[in-house]
Amino acid sequence: MTKRALITGITGQDGSYLAELLLDKGYEVFGLVRRASTPSTLRIEHLLDRVTLVVGEMTDQTSLIDAMESSQADEVYNLAAQSFVGDSWTVPLSTGDVDGLGVTRMLEAIRRVKLEARFYQAATSEMYGKVHEVPQSETTPFHPRSPYGVGKVYGYYITLNYRESYGMHASNGILFNHESPRRGLEFVTRKITNQVAKIKLGQATELRLGNLDSKRDWGFAGDYVEMMWRMLQQDTPDDYVAATGETHTVREFCEIAFSRVGLDFNDHVVIDPRFVRPAEVELLLGDPSKAKRVLGWEPKVSFQGLVEMMVDADMERLSR
Amino acid sequence: MTKRALITGVAGQDGTYLSELLLGRDYEVWGVVGPYPGQFLEWAKQFEGRLHPIDADLTDMDSLLAAVEVSKPDEVYNFAAQSSVGNSFEQAIATTEVNAVGVLRMLEAMRQLAPDARFFQASSAEMFGNAAEMPQRETTPLHPRSPYAASKTYAFHIIGSYRDSYGMHASNGILFNHESPMRGLQFVTRKITDGAVRCKLGLQSELRLGNLDAQRDWGFAGDYVECMWRMLQQDVPDDFVIASGEVHTVRDFCQAAFARLDLDYQEFVVVDPEFFRPVDVNIFFGDATKARTVLNWEPRIRFRELVEMMVDADMERLTAE
Repeated sequence: MTKRALITGITGQDGSYLAELLLDKGYEVFGLVRRASTPSTLRIEHLLDRVTLVVGEMTDQTSLIDAMESSQADEVYNLAAQSFVGDSWTVPLSTGDVDGLGVTRMLEAIRRVKLEARFYQAATSEMYGKVHEVPQSETTPFHPRSPYGVGKVYGYYITLNYRESYGMHASNGILFNHESPRRGLEFVTRKITNQVAKIKLGQATELRLGNLDSKRDWGFAGDYVEMMWRMLQQDTPDDYVAATGETHTVREFCEIAFSRVGLDFNDHVVIDPRFVRPAEVELLLGDPSKAKRVLGWEPKVSFQGLVEMMVDADMERLSR
Repeated sequence: MTKRALITGVAGQDGTYLSELLLGRDYEVWGVVGPYPGQFLEWAKQFEGRLHPIDADLTDMDSLLAAVEVSKPDEVYNFAAQSSVGNSFEQAIATTEVNAVGVLRMLEAMRQLAPDARFFQASSAEMFGNAAEMPQRETTPLHPRSPYAASKTYAFHIIGSYRDSYGMHASNGILFNHESPMRGLQFVTRKITDGAVRCKLGLQSELRLGNLDAQRDWGFAGDYVECMWRMLQQDVPDDFVIASGEVHTVRDFCQAAFARLDLDYQEFVVVDPEFFRPVDVNIFFGDATKARTVLNWEPRIRFRELVEMMVDADMERLTAE
């Protein structure tokens, strides 16, 4: 019997990699898409004839119920979110509404239409925020710093609550930063690699950044969607960290990115206080040993490999 | 200069006790009344000129901006909430809109119009769930077990985020159960005292309850609002557990309530599985040492006195009717 999956946020980075993965595994794939006058399907153009898109909003309860009705999904991957931490201070209410309350709405839709469906919630290392221990694992306490982090903490707990209260197969993937050539341009990694390519091609001269000393555990999104899928194949729901187990500074990311095209980052990077956050998360470093032990999952692409992949892709795109 | 306070959920138990406290300290008080004012507006008339009811809703940003604009508060106390844990299972979204996103709306309204005002958030011990440690203190890890608790957890953390991000004087009072004659009838304590009196007066023959073994740290709301006020008098915002430090079962509460009326609770109380929750927290036990040492605050009304106060008030009310 063909399995059916519903992906909210299918048009995003993770959504597009996950859709590819599930199609390869023979799933029938449904994706929730917002109505917009400008098409948002850039990352899934190559999949449009193989997936079914359903219009809906994480803020519109009935649309989520309808999406469950029409898809009859066996697996739901809730990736939809306002996912840029920096902007969550600017649009805090809708971030809370989509990233927090949206999870409750999706769970309610599943509870109503198909209680036995398996649910994946896109939780995040940003929940750890001002970290209470290093490295961070599934048992590390949360201390979110941004409206984004707070919304995601709520989403994590409501997922747990529906699991405990209704016996739903509902799980949290606590993903540390995961990047790719499809990452949005506002995220620092893509901001860097895109600007590196522009500088190399003579289209720009400088790269303006905020805090170069922030440390993150960066992996490749294509690896991480594999863990999401494995989580939902388990008989029992549970929560797992996805991470590389390494932490690097924004500065290191710059060094490798610029070196890839034979440039020195010191010649081009300018610190701009506008990009410093009201409250910073200084360090994230994940412990993915549970995912390895239970799911047999580990990331494949290294930090260096990731940076170079992204630079190469931006170079290729901008050279055309 | 007269201090100005804005209280949301002013018509509820805590709002009423706090209004009384602040008016007694010469504050001018604005109160967002909410959808269930009950007796509040009648009661408020005695303070006309100093207690101003306002129409606003925690799900309506414009109304909150207007509330802050008209009150120009020095202090804001946010009590408005869907406060029934049991109901939150069937009303998860509405609960979160008010208890979680509503707090964010209040913070945003203050950030826009009264950034120097001091903010008190009514956080809840429900956030601890089946707690990692006994007793629970400010640093105990959270494990919310209901949509209510999850919503309060969001509010707890957004307070911390705004405090750190914007330097706002915003604080959480982590309140353990606090009761009084003003407590809503759907809460088990009041359900018991009201039910016990009805049994005594022959108005009913039984009282149906859920889990009698649930253990709670109960205090008197009138004591707890004093702690809240002291928190906002501190120069530095901070989070405090507000609790009695004593644990009793629902059974203990029944026993004390019926005994006040010379009755044996076992002759009237019936356990009804309908009142069991999908997931329940078994034990609440709070450690308010920090409030004692930093704020010099301690609860004065203890368990037995609280139960008897509530039974006496319900007896007076029901015999008057």
